[in-house]
Amino acid sequence: MTIENVLLVSGALFAIGAYGAVSRRSLITVIMSLELMFNGVVIAAVGFSRFTPAAELLSGDPVTAEAVRSALTGHVFAIFVTAVAAGEAALAFALVFAMYRATESVEITDASEMKN
Amino acid sequence: MMAIMEVSTLTTIAFWAASAMTLGLAAIVVTQRDVFRAAIALAGSFLGVGILYFILSAEFVGVVQILVYVGAISVLMAFAVMFIKDIASGSRPAQGRLVGATVAVLIFAALAFTAYNTEWSSMDEITDPVAIAALTEGFVEVGTGDDITVLTDLPLDGNALAIENDGVFVDSTGAIGVMLVRKYMLAFELIGLLLVAALIGGLLLMRDPKSTEEPEPTSGGASV
Repeated sequence: MTIENVLLVSGALFAIGAYGAVSRRSLITVIMSLELMFNGVVIAAVGFSRFTPAAELLSGDPVTAEAVRSALTGHVFAIFVTAVAAGEAALAFALVFAMYRATESVEITDASEMKN
Repeated sequence: MMAIMEVSTLTTIAFWAASAMTLGLAAIVVTQRDVFRAAIALAGSFLGVGILYFILSAEFVGVVQILVYVGAISVLMAFAVMFIKDIASGSRPAQGRLVGATVAVLIFAALAFTAYNTEWSSMDEITDPVAIAALTEGFVEVGTGDDITVLTDLPLDGNALAIENDGVFVDSTGAIGVMLVRKYMLAFELIGLLLVAALIGGLLLMRDPKSTEEPEPTSGGASV
């Protein structure tokens, strides 16, 4: 297990999500694919945190607790991305329901107009 | 010097097993015609990602992943699938699928090429013994948190101000909490604002447009 392996898995998950986002017809499965892409990105962030050193720890200055904590920047990034993705998913489903109520369909080809 | 944070064979096996589970279930999500089955596979894929986080020494992120993705978003997906009747399932005709596959393969090729052709810096470049100990063993943080004392002979006695911590990759939760309220305070507050905005926006979008007028005052107090 190296940083290259982690990035490979991350890239594969992102690519699978991209395939789904382009090729699926139902809006719900498109949103599922977007969530897969989010997860791929977060795996890369956590992998960098685990395998590559923070710049503060390489500078040669005396090590402070702040510098040690910056080794976890990728984890904090992951939590922010997760929060944004959760908000995005909730809002996207609200949009899907609004569209379903207006047009009785969740097909992405029927979504070209959003006016009520 | 001993390599810091070396990876055991067992961990590597677990990593590839969790990766296979994640990617296999993700492939089911994007190919399965039955949308409900796709939602179940998605929950399993999220769980696999959570296991990957635990393997990568990110326990707190793993717990957040399981709570938010496996717990909340998967339920939202299942709810959405059940809410919408005669849900459009299946994929587009072959043309869209071909475009999607081409895009996905190109993205993957670019990412894999970059991953294997870049010389990433390694944890072994850290030479400071205090830093090495603070990452994986124990350290003690005194006072305001800017000074650091590494303890090799635990436990500590005497100094009431001292807080005992594990290395940040042994127990990451406390360090993440400190980062969220110090270095990333503004982003943390903005995330709260974003979630409130998403909540209000979701409620507005979900409101039935037919029920916008005030409800008629019903019986009780109608007689004068």
